[in-house]
Amino acid sequence: MSAPARYVFAVARDLQVAELAGTHGFHGATIDVVEHEGLSAVVCDVDLEEFGEEPLTRNLEDLAWVERVARTHNEVVWMVAAVSTCAPLRLVTVCADDDSVRAKVDSLRSDLEDVLDRIEGRQEWSVKVLVPQRPVAESPRATPAASGADYLRRKREASDRRRDLTEEAVDAAREVHEVAHDHAVASRRLMPQDPRLTGRTETMVLNAAYLVEAQEHEAFTAALHAAGEQHPLVTVEVEGPWPAYSFAVLG
Amino acid sequence: MNEVDGRATAVGLTTSGAAQVSLVDILDRLLGTGVVLAGDVTISLAGVDLVDIRLNALITSVRADMARREGRMP
Repeated sequence: MSAPARYVFAVARDLQVAELAGTHGFHGATIDVVEHEGLSAVVCDVDLEEFGEEPLTRNLEDLAWVERVARTHNEVVWMVAAVSTCAPLRLVTVCADDDSVRAKVDSLRSDLEDVLDRIEGRQEWSVKVLVPQRPVAESPRATPAASGADYLRRKREASDRRRDLTEEAVDAAREVHEVAHDHAVASRRLMPQDPRLTGRTETMVLNAAYLVEAQEHEAFTAALHAAGEQHPLVTVEVEGPWPAYSFAVLG
Repeated sequence: MNEVDGRATAVGLTTSGAAQVSLVDILDRLLGTGVVLAGDVTISLAGVDLVDIRLNALITSVRADMARREGRMP
């Protein structure tokens, strides 16, 4: 093994370090906590042959590697968020040693404190609105067009159905977002996910994250359930609670 | 066909919750958001580039998967 470096998963406040026993980093590495004036950086050793600059640029092109690292990172952040107020770091933040980790935490201290204040006692929820790609199917009793006029009428009706569906989807996305926003302390719109990545046939018209008070989550999901019922043509998906990834942005 | 999927209604974050999240949802957050603390190993890649890498990698892998599956079709 070449010189180890420190991979930083998250910066936390009020971390119960003992609660992380049983959580591991990459390749089973021990999770360590670098304490610095009230903040805890959650780290593990990584090998620079894997996480050095040159290997990283290569590894980031390897989906299996990215998935393994992203899932491990996510699991560690998840455990930290379960036992502290946790600001997750972006993927692959690597420092030379613990002194460097402390120096970096120091340089961002007031920003980190602001982030931790913002997310304390709150959790992230994911809300998506999906719309079927195809227009609503014709009634099952459909028969071949009887005439040219009949054919054109049917084409027009199909086009109307498509337009109705698009309008319905746009309305649904707006309303679902408004309802979620009203029950959240902050919200963030993410890019709709590409169907090639999700493997789903529906079109995503809303992909958003909401920061919700931990004790308000039932009201939040109930309000979205009700909003979903107003729009039977679309699917509303609510997932959570998650660590507050989308709200741990500095500045 | 409406469906509200409140899979994890408990307030607590659990390990099983982490395992259920899709890779795309994780990458949405791990690449697009989160605290950016410049490490010593500077991968001189802006967030946008990482997203491109992810898209390229994922699309390539999806295509490879599809090609394999089509190849296996009788």
